[in-house]
Amino acid sequence: MTRVAIVGIGHSRFGRRTDVNVGELAFESIGEAVDDAGVDRSEIKSVIVGTMGSWYEESLPAVVVNEYAGLSGAGTMRVEAACASGSAALKAAYNSILSGETDVALAVGVEKMTEVDSPTSVELIGRAGSYMWEFENFGMTFPAYYALYAVSHMSRYGTTEEDLARIAVKAHRYGAMNPLAQFQKEITLEKALGSPVVAWPLKLYDACPLSDGSAAAVLASEEVAKKLSDTPIWIKGVGYSSDTANLSRRSNYVGLEAAAQAANRAYSAAKVSPGDIDVATAHDCFTIAELMAYEDLGFCKKGEGAKLVREGQTEIGGRIPVNVDGGLKAKGHPVGATGVSMAVEITKQLRGEAGRRQVPLKKGLGLVHNVGGTGHYAYVTILSRD
Amino acid sequence: MSEEPTLHSNRSLTLRFNIPVSRTHEFWDSLRDGRFVTTKCSQCGNVTFPPQADCPKCMGGEFEWVDLGREAKLVTFTRVQVAPASFAGSDPYMIAIGEFPNGVKVLARLEGVEQKKAKPGMRLSIEARSEKGGNPYYVFRGA
Repeated sequence: MTRVAIVGIGHSRFGRRTDVNVGELAFESIGEAVDDAGVDRSEIKSVIVGTMGSWYEESLPAVVVNEYAGLSGAGTMRVEAACASGSAALKAAYNSILSGETDVALAVGVEKMTEVDSPTSVELIGRAGSYMWEFENFGMTFPAYYALYAVSHMSRYGTTEEDLARIAVKAHRYGAMNPLAQFQKEITLEKALGSPVVAWPLKLYDACPLSDGSAAAVLASEEVAKKLSDTPIWIKGVGYSSDTANLSRRSNYVGLEAAAQAANRAYSAAKVSPGDIDVATAHDCFTIAELMAYEDLGFCKKGEGAKLVREGQTEIGGRIPVNVDGGLKAKGHPVGATGVSMAVEITKQLRGEAGRRQVPLKKGLGLVHNVGGTGHYAYVTILSRD
Repeated sequence: MSEEPTLHSNRSLTLRFNIPVSRTHEFWDSLRDGRFVTTKCSQCGNVTFPPQADCPKCMGGEFEWVDLGREAKLVTFTRVQVAPASFAGSDPYMIAIGEFPNGVKVLARLEGVEQKKAKPGMRLSIEARSEKGGNPYYVFRGA
């Protein structure tokens, strides 16, 4: 079986992008990724577009994006795994090469969340669960789902609102170093703790923003990757899993079982362990989500996520730097784009091209943890320099 | 970040769904009678909430209805301050997951408990509601 590498990456500026439509926005990263790979578009036989959609006007985003980028004629599909749609796109593109179907594939993640008003966006994400049993009569929101986890984690392990706020402060510190981030401004612990509550105990600064953005990655088989690139970044293992639509059917609210399972599958596919990872992106749609990710990924023991934060172990220079691109919190979270954006960041890190945000590399291994919904979908992808 | 000019579309789209409930309509009928019931697989005995006509454990298609009673304990909760569009104008509201003695868990609004006094483990009771002309629903209340 061939190995598969990322040989080209592209990333748009994230934020409220009223200056571009979905085709134009996707092209910003597609153009960059194709240039970076130095590949002729005719070689790309498979284009997978990850997007959740319904907050922008197009019903068939994949063909709209392909038409704009001159890629019509390639085999294509739109994939959906909520906020993990980007990782699902990468997985499908990876599979199209593993299967021998093509030597070059393109994974695109794109989302435009700000073409509708904010309450409508809140509504659409609030419905991301089991509609009749969580939304129709009750009015769940996305922060509310994660708040249920936060309350449980705080009650069981003594995690505090301040621990969560520290994660937001870290995100903004690195976001300030990322020219593509939605928020490039540092915040103080006091500011985070004093921000208005959206779903208790989660506050505005515990939550990622509504964002527009795109990211793209060109993938190639081993033979083609070695011809195209001096620094191919290998996909060493992908693990994915899922959990129930209804949160009420979960056994506990202190971790995301799908994410823990995806992580175990990825570690075993890549034949590595958590201690081997140099740098990671974790799905911090809310601060509590990043804290649970530390535990689900095995970066610390269950219940010790807050300790990792207090000790600064997930900052650059710590044991395992996490989200040094600003994370979803500060970089922004255009949901379909996020998984690909994370893979782009880890590719930059493993190429040694992350500039001020560069993490020291020991084993040349990076990890992407991307969750869809409230642990409904989970994808963990392990990337390697060698 | 500066706002660029956009074209405000002239077409709007309203989606309102007719959701089939015929295979488990007894759940909604019972709520109107003030009872909170769910499905139990006749083949393997698995109790499922939300109710479902086909057993996710053994794939059996025969089921009976069991009454869950009223008493539950609070597992976790939140208080929603920023509501979705279709709940616009509502006051902040609490939502809880409660667990019944047989282990079945249910998510619903929580009433009659202040956020500061809510605590995992506390006793709750479930209450069926049906208002004239509206669909039946259910809420948790502090016991």
